[in-house]
Amino acid sequence: MADRPKKKFIVTRFDPETDEVPKTQEYEIPVEPDWKVLDALNFIKDEIDGTLSHRWSCRMAVCGSCGMMVDGEPKLTCKEALSQYGDTVEVSPLSNFPIIRDLVVDLDGFMDKFQAVKPWIIRAKERAVEEGPMRQSPEELEEFKQFSMCINCMLCYSACPVVANEPDFLGPAAIALGHRYNVDSRDEGADARNEVFRGEGTVFSCSFANECSEVCPKHVDPAAAVNQAKFNAVIDWAKGLVLPRGGKE
Amino acid sequence: MSRPAHPHAMQPKRPGRTRTAPPQLPPQFPMSGRYRAYTLFDWTGLIYLLLGFMALEIVWAVGSGPAAWAAITARFENPVYIAFHILAFVSVIFVGVRFFRFFPKSQPPRIGPVKPPPQPVILAGLYAAWIGVTAVFAFILSGGLSG
Repeated sequence: MADRPKKKFIVTRFDPETDEVPKTQEYEIPVEPDWKVLDALNFIKDEIDGTLSHRWSCRMAVCGSCGMMVDGEPKLTCKEALSQYGDTVEVSPLSNFPIIRDLVVDLDGFMDKFQAVKPWIIRAKERAVEEGPMRQSPEELEEFKQFSMCINCMLCYSACPVVANEPDFLGPAAIALGHRYNVDSRDEGADARNEVFRGEGTVFSCSFANECSEVCPKHVDPAAAVNQAKFNAVIDWAKGLVLPRGGKE
Repeated sequence: MSRPAHPHAMQPKRPGRTRTAPPQLPPQFPMSGRYRAYTLFDWTGLIYLLLGFMALEIVWAVGSGPAAWAAITARFENPVYIAFHILAFVSVIFVGVRFFRFFPKSQPPRIGPVKPPPQPVILAGLYAAWIGVTAVFAFILSGGLSG
């Protein structure tokens, strides 16, 4: 272990029982060349300071648990090779979220926003089981597949300048998920979601910084979804103005 | 630590069971990393606001007769105005390129039964239209129609 190169980690610490505001703590540890950032945090937790709190689970960029700010950018720490960082690495909790403890942020606000977009298939009339499964063509699948790849890691919320300044903003992942169902050929709930999308703090609050898409580890491109949702919400509103019965059958 | 975000950013509807530290802004916001381009993009709004006032002044001068028009064209020869117009030109190109980069992906997968063309085709069309309109204006403003 003595021969291994060392890196210094500046880690944000916050204990809700004793601290008024977060502070930083430095750890210098030996690292392996194939380590990810998460491996270093686990080493600190296991070998140096058992009081450090951070979330992680799958270690394969699937569960979305280990999102943190690494050198100022939102990253999945299990995906980021430590070798691409310098001798000093700064790790802090995701920006724009209340901090529960150390590197752990409060997800409840995120879950509230998720629920608001009705992220499930809505049918005007449920299909009978005897009718068999609903079929979709590859083209129909392609229209929403990209937006369904989201792992809810919240990096997009952490990068978004609108989320930082507008508490009511639904945010990239929630809007992308709502849009994912709106463009799903099996869904009939677009009217209800567009109603939500036209409200305060929704799609029109987005100023297209595109940061959500830049940081997305799964290439979901939430900025595309948000701006497509804007377009559809306007079309839906215009149809309601000019067509009889709002263009509804 | 970076600067604080809005104190209610990403706060749950109901308070949690433990005390939390307030959310922080992304450390690179607003002038580092990729945020720099976004912030500059926002700041170009100020340039367009000033250009709007200048356009109103030009219209006012046109309506006020030849003397007013001569005065305003003489004023535009001032180096400060020339520098401002160069800055405005650069900002228009910056905003145009940024807008064109993002426009194709903001198109929904279909509008009714119509599917938009592939993104590279949209992008090529936008640039072709921009160059075309610029050429037409350049032709008119350089006196091409007068003779």
